[in-house]
Amino acid sequence: MKYFLEIVTKPDNIPIVALLFLVVFYTWFAFKKARKNDSQELPEEAKLDDKIQVWPNLVRVEFLGTLIVFAILAVWSITIDAPLEEPANPTLTPNPSKAPWYFLGLQELLVYFDPWIAGVILPSIIIVGLMAIPYIDINPKGNGYYTFKERKFAILTYYFGFLILWVALIILGTFLRGPGWNFFLPWEYWDPHKVVVLNNVDLSEMIGIPTKNPDNSLNIWATLFGFSFVSGFFGILGAWHYNKFKKTETYKLMGPIRYWTTSLLFWGMAFVVLKIILRLLPPVLGAYPIKYVWVTPWFNI
Amino acid sequence: MISPMQKFRESEVYKSIFRHKYDDTQRNRALQIVDNVFLHLHPVRIPRHATNVGFTWGMGGITFLLFLILTLTGVILMFYYRPTAQYAYEDMKYLMNDVAFGPFVRNMHRWAAHLMVITVMLHMFRVFLTGSYKPPRQFNWVIGVILLVLTFLLSFTGYLLPWDQLSIWAVTVGTNMARATPLLGHDGPFGLELGMKIDNDIRFVLLGGTQVGPPTLLRFYVGHCIFLPLIASIFMVVHFWRIRKDGGISGPDTTKKTF
Amino acid sequence: MTTENNPQTNNPSPQITPTPLPRKAKQDRAPENDPGLWRMGRKSFFSFSAWLAFFGFIGISTIGSLRMMFPRILFEPSKKFKVGLPEEFLIGEVSEKFIDKGVWIIREQGGFYALIAICTHLGCAPRWLPTENKFKCACHGSGYYKNGINFEGPTPRPLERAAIGLADNGELEVDLSLKFKYELGDWVKEDSFYNYVA
Ligand code: HEM
Ligand code: FES
Repeated sequence: MKYFLEIVTKPDNIPIVALLFLVVFYTWFAFKKARKNDSQELPEEAKLDDKIQVWPNLVRVEFLGTLIVFAILAVWSITIDAPLEEPANPTLTPNPSKAPWYFLGLQELLVYFDPWIAGVILPSIIIVGLMAIPYIDINPKGNGYYTFKERKFAILTYYFGFLILWVALIILGTFLRGPGWNFFLPWEYWDPHKVVVLNNVDLSEMIGIPTKNPDNSLNIWATLFGFSFVSGFFGILGAWHYNKFKKTETYKLMGPIRYWTTSLLFWGMAFVVLKIILRLLPPVLGAYPIKYVWVTPWFNI
Repeated sequence: MISPMQKFRESEVYKSIFRHKYDDTQRNRALQIVDNVFLHLHPVRIPRHATNVGFTWGMGGITFLLFLILTLTGVILMFYYRPTAQYAYEDMKYLMNDVAFGPFVRNMHRWAAHLMVITVMLHMFRVFLTGSYKPPRQFNWVIGVILLVLTFLLSFTGYLLPWDQLSIWAVTVGTNMARATPLLGHDGPFGLELGMKIDNDIRFVLLGGTQVGPPTLLRFYVGHCIFLPLIASIFMVVHFWRIRKDGGISGPDTTKKTF
Repeated sequence: MTTENNPQTNNPSPQITPTPLPRKAKQDRAPENDPGLWRMGRKSFFSFSAWLAFFGFIGISTIGSLRMMFPRILFEPSKKFKVGLPEEFLIGEVSEKFIDKGVWIIREQGGFYALIAICTHLGCAPRWLPTENKFKCACHGSGYYKNGINFEGPTPRPLERAAIGLADNGELEVDLSLKFKYELGDWVKEDSFYNYVA
């Protein structure tokens, strides 16, 4: 526990602790407002739509906000020094070595995926996917007021992406990953010599198809198996939902391009979660963690 | 008797600066906004709920404020900071130990940067939850995503500048992802086939060399202090302008009874 | 929100369908002499050249600036250096003497190889753990056997070998610019291993 407290109170980690509280608070706060709006005829915001003058009504709020931010920053900057470690040494990596906290979610993904996926493809998809949101969400309701009832799918998906895949992974990466990027529970001592079995197997090996031939070349059957696994995942889930959904009014309004973009992004997110589970779950059950689900001569997933 | 303040308000100097009277009338309140180059970012009148902190959480505004604070403190730091491998770390030590108010300004820059990342994420969270990206504001959301990325890039480039152990290893790991970029990185899928090598791929451009070294520091410094803030300011201008063109802060459309 | 500033609820302005001006048929050429796609009057030729010049200038400037960002000369530490006489190394030992230069020298029964101390995952510097007989990377936990083959953690491939050979004065010499990758079958190549039996 002492070690955990030490990490939590490290100057550079204070923002994460703050973030944690802020995110919990705002999630609760927004939900409360949504509940209230959902239970009445007109949303609260609609009752406050009379026009008022910016001076002084808005300007004074901004002024107050500025004062508060300055006060917080001033106290923070006087009491806590920004860290400055040993001078740069290109031959000695500190253990553990972590990215700035806001990238620790991505760094955590590096454990589950090859760098080109975790470091390049996933961030690009996240950015493009975020930009696509306004164009694929054509639900006209819930524009300009808090609601949950009217856009359940959109809000739950965003909660999942932001709270679990972003914030929770950041917390995991910051507080529970110790030397060797090993997993430590809060009360455990960060032992740099902790021995953890990290020997990996591929999914194909799990069911008895070796990834490599005896002469160390790639087993084509393993590649084919991986291909059918990945395409099966997207194909079956995609087709299943499409069949369920294609007759609805919403599908007709969305059209195929919007629908399939949404579908791909959604199942892609699910695939990330699946891969995380495949890595984390087997050791708990006493098996080796899965490294790749699909091995090809050019890339591995 | 008229007070000195009153007298000042009647003076030519005052009138040459503020072109309207000060008494609390609707007209003066309006002029206060339109006649001021900074305040006229705002409309004169807005719906009441748009001034409600419970609705906007004030996060976008705080993010902008933090950007201004970062610019100011950043420029002050630049007076004492030299972006070379030889001096960068020493200058940080000097700032922290011997420059009057050096630690305060550096701390402020560092903590405001962290805070900005938090507020920008919360701002986005709020915009999503109030559905404010829906028509006609789709494109402003896209600009917002670009601003989010720019904020991350600013923070990431700034992280290297102290040139300590934390910096170079965070940046080593971060930029090594670039070597795995498909097609453009020498370790990425199809990179080898396209002739990518350690000294001609995308990571090489980012680092200005084959390893995180002095040229990297200079590149990140220029990116951090000039290029990225400039680009970010441009996008912020567009962001704010779009808010007004898209009809102000979003709110329920009370003309259509669709609730 | 009120009607005035919501563009969506504005009364739609009456539809104005612009009536196209009647096109004057070009009569300056007989159809068989018509140059087709490349038909271009004097004015459009000038307009075309101006745009070509404009985009040409922008394009070439962009390419030039991009090229400028690729340095031609690197001021990086020399990649080739001597590491001492072969007898100075013990059989079975992983020598960390040159770890500052980013390389381990390993002597086996049959000779030497030099492993580059850069994690093939994302480039941290792994450590040699003699008690566990493996290289271990702190950043995300990749582990490698003594021969450099990866067996745990996220790294996709084994460590790389640097070229190793004998210099004129009888000392071993390592060249970091020549790399040998196991997965490309390089480890059987000359210079990836220095045969030496005392
Ligand atoms: C025009 C704007 C800016 C200028 C001129 C500027 C300038 C500087 C300078 C000279 C340094 C090196 C000194 C130091 O490390 O403290 C620095 C560091 C840094 N900057 Fe900025 N900066 C600006 C904006 C930003 C923004 C918008 C962010 C992030 C949102 C940011 C994040 C950082 C971080 C994280 C550091 C490292 C702080 C440390 O520990 O030292 N900066 N900046
Ligand atoms: S850099 Fe070595 S495990 Fe990631």
